[in-house]
Amino acid sequence: MNLRSQTSRLLLAAGVVGLLLPDIALAQGKISFNRDVLPILSDRCFLCHGPDEGTREAELRFDLEDAVPEEVIAPGHPEKSEFYHRITSHDPDIRMPPADSKLALTKDEIDILGRWIKEGAKWQQHWSFISPQKSALPKVNNADWCHNEIDHFILARQEEAGLSPATEASKEQLIRRLSFDLTGLPPSLAEIDEFLNDDRPDAVERVVDRLLKSSAYGERMATDWLDAARYSDTYGYQVDRDRFVWPWRDWVVRTFNRNMPYDQFITEQLAGDLLPDATDEQILATTFNRLHPQKVEGGSVPEEFRIEYVADRTQTFATAFLGLTMECCRCHDHKYDPLSQKEYYQLSAFFDNIAEAGLYSYFTPAVPTPTLVMTDAATKAKIAAAELDIENAETALKALADSQKTRDAFKSWLESKPKTETSIPGQIAHLDFEDAAKGGNESVDGKLGKAVRLSGDDAVGLTVGNFRRFDPFSVSLWMNTPDVKDRAVVFHRSRAWTDAGSRGYQLLIEEGRLSASLIHFWPGNAIRICTKQQLTTKQWHHVVVTWDGSSRADGLRIYLNGDVAECDIVRDNLYKDITGGGGDNLAIGERFRDRGFTNGLVDEFRVFDRQLTPLEVNHLSDDQALTAAFDNSTADPDSQKLFDYYLATVDTDCQAQLSLIRKKREAHSKVVDSLPEIMVMREEPTRRETFLLKRGAYDARATPVFPETPAVLSTLPDRLTRNRLGLAKWLTQPDHPLTARVVVNRLWQMIFGQGLVRTPEDFGRQGLPPTHPELLDWLAVDFVEHGWNVKRLLKQIVLSATYRQSPEPSAESFKRDPQNLLLSWSPTFRLPAEMLRDNALTASGLLVRKLGGAPAKPYEVEVSFKPVTPDKGEGLYRRSLYTYWKRTGPAPVMMTLDASKRDVCRVRRERTSTPLETFVLMNGPQFVEAARVLSEAVLKQHADDERASVSELFRTLTGRLPTEDELKILAELYAQQLEYFTSHTGKAAEYLKTGQRASDASLDANRLAALSTVANALFSFDEVVNRR
Amino acid sequence: MNEKCTGFEPTSTMPRRQLLQRFGMGLGGLALADLIGAESAASADGGVLTKLHHAPTAKRVICLFQSGAPSQLDLFDHKPLLNEKHGEQLPDEVRNGQRLTGMSGNQSSIPLAGSPFKFSQHGESGLSFSETLPHTASVADELCVVRSMFTEAINHGPGTTFMQTGSQFPGRPSMGAWLDYGLGSENSDLPAFVVMNTKGKGGQPLVSRFWGSGFLPSRHQGVRFRAGDDPVLYLKNPAGLDASSKRNMLDALKKLHELQLVKYSSPAIETRIAQHELSFRMQASIPEATDLSKEPDHIFELYGKDSKTPGTYAANCILARRLAERGVRFIQLYHQGWDQHGGLAGGIRKQCGETDQPSAALIKDLKQRDLLKDTLVIWGGEFGRTNYCQGKLTANSFGRDHHPRCFSIWMAGGGIKGGTTYGATDPYGYNVVENPVHIHDLHATILHLMGIDHEQLTFRYQGRRFRLTDVHGEVVPDVLA
Repeated sequence: MNLRSQTSRLLLAAGVVGLLLPDIALAQGKISFNRDVLPILSDRCFLCHGPDEGTREAELRFDLEDAVPEEVIAPGHPEKSEFYHRITSHDPDIRMPPADSKLALTKDEIDILGRWIKEGAKWQQHWSFISPQKSALPKVNNADWCHNEIDHFILARQEEAGLSPATEASKEQLIRRLSFDLTGLPPSLAEIDEFLNDDRPDAVERVVDRLLKSSAYGERMATDWLDAARYSDTYGYQVDRDRFVWPWRDWVVRTFNRNMPYDQFITEQLAGDLLPDATDEQILATTFNRLHPQKVEGGSVPEEFRIEYVADRTQTFATAFLGLTMECCRCHDHKYDPLSQKEYYQLSAFFDNIAEAGLYSYFTPAVPTPTLVMTDAATKAKIAAAELDIENAETALKALADSQKTRDAFKSWLESKPKTETSIPGQIAHLDFEDAAKGGNESVDGKLGKAVRLSGDDAVGLTVGNFRRFDPFSVSLWMNTPDVKDRAVVFHRSRAWTDAGSRGYQLLIEEGRLSASLIHFWPGNAIRICTKQQLTTKQWHHVVVTWDGSSRADGLRIYLNGDVAECDIVRDNLYKDITGGGGDNLAIGERFRDRGFTNGLVDEFRVFDRQLTPLEVNHLSDDQALTAAFDNSTADPDSQKLFDYYLATVDTDCQAQLSLIRKKREAHSKVVDSLPEIMVMREEPTRRETFLLKRGAYDARATPVFPETPAVLSTLPDRLTRNRLGLAKWLTQPDHPLTARVVVNRLWQMIFGQGLVRTPEDFGRQGLPPTHPELLDWLAVDFVEHGWNVKRLLKQIVLSATYRQSPEPSAESFKRDPQNLLLSWSPTFRLPAEMLRDNALTASGLLVRKLGGAPAKPYEVEVSFKPVTPDKGEGLYRRSLYTYWKRTGPAPVMMTLDASKRDVCRVRRERTSTPLETFVLMNGPQFVEAARVLSEAVLKQHADDERASVSELFRTLTGRLPTEDELKILAELYAQQLEYFTSHTGKAAEYLKTGQRASDASLDANRLAALSTVANALFSFDEVVNRR
Repeated sequence: MNEKCTGFEPTSTMPRRQLLQRFGMGLGGLALADLIGAESAASADGGVLTKLHHAPTAKRVICLFQSGAPSQLDLFDHKPLLNEKHGEQLPDEVRNGQRLTGMSGNQSSIPLAGSPFKFSQHGESGLSFSETLPHTASVADELCVVRSMFTEAINHGPGTTFMQTGSQFPGRPSMGAWLDYGLGSENSDLPAFVVMNTKGKGGQPLVSRFWGSGFLPSRHQGVRFRAGDDPVLYLKNPAGLDASSKRNMLDALKKLHELQLVKYSSPAIETRIAQHELSFRMQASIPEATDLSKEPDHIFELYGKDSKTPGTYAANCILARRLAERGVRFIQLYHQGWDQHGGLAGGIRKQCGETDQPSAALIKDLKQRDLLKDTLVIWGGEFGRTNYCQGKLTANSFGRDHHPRCFSIWMAGGGIKGGTTYGATDPYGYNVVENPVHIHDLHATILHLMGIDHEQLTFRYQGRRFRLTDVHGEVVPDVLA
């Protein structure tokens, strides 16, 4: 059989050269650079003679007209062109492309290149980099066929090729097709009947309007967007814990249902946080950028993964919105498209500027920052009230301190010559290190008696220190560092460093400076201050860290040798608790997988459960400040230090007020700390420096780069800010060459199974050119002109005559255009995974029509690679959109049916056909149960009428009545199975037991079981499985 | 007409439209097959390669993946110097700037640790193994131990992903998926790429991405066989339905589809009929292939005491042999638990106790059935382990951290030169000093043994021709027989 080799030649033309009209356009008319020549140059030449300078040979590039010397390509004269000589030469040393490149040109391709040179060797910018223009509607002979503009473009191509459209689909076919395409659900029998009986001329439009209005529309639209957004209910990578991101999924459903203009849909997801007066809803939209997999595996290098997240965001942006393969330029300039490595990193700079960690927390359930705290109006009011309470209490304290009454009391206290009090109240622990050191630590001479010399691998543990963020506390110690430490843990209360998101509080040496922090999750939910000066080495320093319980950076102080050290505020954004994760007590000199205070000395370590005043700090440092202050002769009534000391330790009113503030803070904390958070984007005030990374390696920083858009598409206008909002505005400019085309193409793909550009992920030179370029451009411009209105566009598409064609091709069409590139019949394709399952649930009436909420766990999660207990009741019967998605063990039924894995952004699914699909549809409990529940309903309605039962089953699942032949076949199956169940006692009961829904005991078990097998079989029937 | 199938459906006889549908957007892939320019398929089973690039020496692969990274220093790569310098610090000039993981990277002290195991030489070839691998040592002359493997990854997720897919980051097809895509199956009634993992092992998690199809059509992903009586997802008929019921259902469907064919004359409908029939056959062929009850006692004895317990590594090794006999192209086993950060000596003994005998038995069993000659067996993990101790080095317990710069694997059968050692590391067991083999090189070599030029098995995705070896990889000729 020679079919294969014929096919091969055609495919070669179609696939590699990119000519999409196999036997029609190939030989006709003038050569078009974009359509005919560029795909060849790109695929065979650009690897060595293209945009990437790094691999360019002989300093020759063919991607730019100006760069090609006349002796290489002489317009009009292939025979004078070295280029042509090279591609036609028989000498293997001269022949291009070289044999070892395995990129040989075919005869047809050489012919095209030769003709192109002969016709003047004109270059064109790649089509997708030029803004789309609305062209005039092409003239067609059979204008009556056309319902709207789309049809003119489609019909013109068909007529050009000598093809004609298929007849119109039957009404049953049409309503089924519309229902799945627009809502992902089948029509009900009532809906079908209503449509069949509706003879009004706008009956179809009425159905379309109804479907677009239904909330199921938003769910259907969200399903595709979740693939692009790599949505998953777990973090991914190895450990793959659950994460809370479904509110974003619900945002998508809501937004599609509200028909938000697509430019706004894009803008809010990219930069909702940067919109003026951004609402919570707009900030929630930006979760889109954070849905990439995240890492927690112990020992990982955080920066390596942080860079990976930035790259993922950048690449998702490029694939989802630009249809460009930017990831190619992560390590080098793009080999085919005019995109440089620098431009890749410039684009990535837009996505780099958030307070993000490379690892999420292993020991705590903290949500990786930046986050949005999820509240409702009532809780918001509660929080505001709690904040006001705190503010009032703080104001009252200040008023109290400033009051004459307090001043007077202070004076009289001073005059009473209080007893010199040198023990400082609130001390809850004191280590003097006079005993022998344990583990690898050593006991050495210290500041006072002995001190500890720390090994860096052995902690000195305390039994106190589990302070909450509203608890004031202080830690005092003597320390001596042997060298300038890049990083060293002096003391901390935490379970671990990155493995716990640093949850707790700590004093570190960082680049020789002291740094004190209180942290919920580093870096986005934390306070950190850092001394401006480096700590001198080989010297004893007295260090005190004090905290006032305010959750503000100005409430944290580092005292160095008695004085408040001048500090930079590194972060000031603590909005959740600092406890939890384990490691509840203070520890000195070492932390899990962190750098310890190696060879550092520590002495006289004291912990206080209150914020010490400066005078007390002075005293701890010099052991005489208090004594001096009380010395009758030196006591200064105007001393602020002494007054502060009085307020904090003597004045009972003031102490009562301090404790009230603490209570108010605790109350506030109680409300806020338990609120759920979701990962979002929040721009950092100071831009993080982004670098070009050599070979894409996280640690191979080259030059710094600034946010900028790829020049080939247009640089970011000066009026736009260099942040994500500017980027979104650039992207949604009406004349952007790609944005609208990419969207329109994906929506076309959603309806027709294939896009006008059949590589929706690649609009670059290596992608396939559009089958109908003028139509794509017309639709893109029209879409923008009409306010990026998605529902309007879909309505336009489904009301076209093109859409309404029958699924039966004419013999001529099938022969001439087997890929149906010219759409001369309605494409048939298997329903996506979600629709196959939702169809069974809908037909059986099991479907729970609840919009949104936490992920549902149907039967299949129990048999996934990472088994999870399925839900009871409702969760088994939700739409598949809501199925719990675990990256390391995704829902196996969905995977078998080609759902996207959601590791990375995908804008197209493969459709494959395997026996595993049959196992799922015939043996999977979801389908077996649905078959039975459907049969129960049918049996109840049709009592003893077998033919009516079978017929009703068939119609519920296919949307049409069976033919007499079909009915006969199914009735026979029913009879066979009735016989089987009757003669095999107990089998019916077993079969009917599948699933949580109890079987209807009032029905005859054998008959029900027999009918159920019919339904069970029909789930695999062509017309049930396919969209036609 | 030949009934042999790729994946699951015949291509050579497939009508053109169906071909186009099947390959969907993978036109590049199909066209590539044509570029290679063969009239007749090399294996008549419809992989994308219509003709192999050269004569293969292996027809199938059994990959015994030891997840967690077994310590090369305690199994294959004997370093007496470490015992001499036990407790001394790793010299900076040996470490030479190698990044350490966050687990030991902040340790103040990184003391060298000698292996607690004795090493000796075995077979005519005199290959060296530690005392923990007596059975493996008994097949020394069949094995090629590569001591100079290296990778870039330092953590399990990226490391295993690299070993299985040729990239540290998720999204690429796994080795088995590439072979399935390229060669298809030898047996139309079984999947071409089967995955099994040892049941009930803890340790570093396995994730389905390791046997995923990445951007290749999803039918190329590995089919996981589970331990127990439902080896493939929903393979078993629902309770209450027997094979005769299933036959009735499929017959009815077939009749319905034949009517559809009259209406639509669509090859996709023919495919559907064929797919249903195949599913029926697989309901018999998979349980048959996975049923160990007919294995004779001497086979269970060969594989060891665990082999009668379903889901053990030993049982999976017998299954691997059965699948190899039945023409499954790529058989992937996973055995977790090799991540000896602490308690190394006991941990290694336990792991070897579970894997040593079955691994060696598999080699012997394949050999006695004359299958070893064209079955490539690979044993190894995702990277190596450090020559220094992670955590405290104490007299009776120590551990080793992850080490990317060198590790050892072994290969056997399928055109591998048995009884050889390839590559060498320095006396510290830290750096490769001779014949380095990168993961890409290993992949190139595996494809080479299967008759494939690794540069020519490509799939066009997002405008680029992707391959298992990315843009790297060189065949290692010295390990070939």
